[in-house]
Amino acid sequence: MSRMTERQYRRRTSLAALAYLLAMLLVWPLARGQHGMLLKGLLALVPAVPMLYLMVQMAARIRASDELEQRVHMQALGMACGVVCAASLIGGLLAAAGALRVQGDILVWVFPLIMSCYGLGRWWLVTRHYGGSTGCEDGSDFPLYQRLLVLAGLIAIILAVCWWRGQIGPLALGMLVGMLLVLLPVAVYRLLRRRRSGVA
Amino acid sequence: MNNRMRDLRGERQWSQADLAERLDVSRQTINAIETGKYDPSLPLAFKIARLFGRPIESIFQYSQE
Repeated sequence: MSRMTERQYRRRTSLAALAYLLAMLLVWPLARGQHGMLLKGLLALVPAVPMLYLMVQMAARIRASDELEQRVHMQALGMACGVVCAASLIGGLLAAAGALRVQGDILVWVFPLIMSCYGLGRWWLVTRHYGGSTGCEDGSDFPLYQRLLVLAGLIAIILAVCWWRGQIGPLALGMLVGMLLVLLPVAVYRLLRRRRSGVA
Repeated sequence: MNNRMRDLRGERQWSQADLAERLDVSRQTINAIETGKYDPSLPLAFKIARLFGRPIESIFQYSQE
């Protein structure tokens, strides 16, 4: 099986990620106001569709990777699984003892937490362990800092529109602001690093 | 394991990206093999040897640490 390049993977998943974001902000909140269980359930599950597609693409990417890439993916996923399992064990024990109040919707954060830990683990393995670089693979002509700035811009636009329409709740607001607080410093850091290394 | 991949690649004036494309692996895999951070699997080692037209033992040398 031929390798799936980073560019191909990003092309397939970026639209799914955007669809998920829009569904979470514009469709999912409608579920709360529904009285019929069927419609409530269907609306609540709309964001899951692009995420399931993204998971399938991740599996396809890992399957189509070369041997070292597969090793890195598996090691990073193992690290992420370990971190999330430890966190859920600790949180579960505290919640069961009544020392921590946890609501059921915390489960929605399991996937983002796994993906964040996987991303960090993969970065560490590629840059520190195998001596590589996570920047511009396969001749991408769209630098990472530009992609991060575009994403931050989209999030800012969605945030502004939702706030103007009075449709933004505390969960969505926290999620979007949190993403901006992560994306913007990383984008600026990557831009400064490129300038220091003399790349245009 | 030591290897002569960088030298052989240089003789043909191939970049790491060129070699990666010929072997259908990522450029990072080529870099990791050349810097000794990763030892290729047997199928990949044979593929490399076939590409350079050399015996596998002349490209990869096992070193006892």
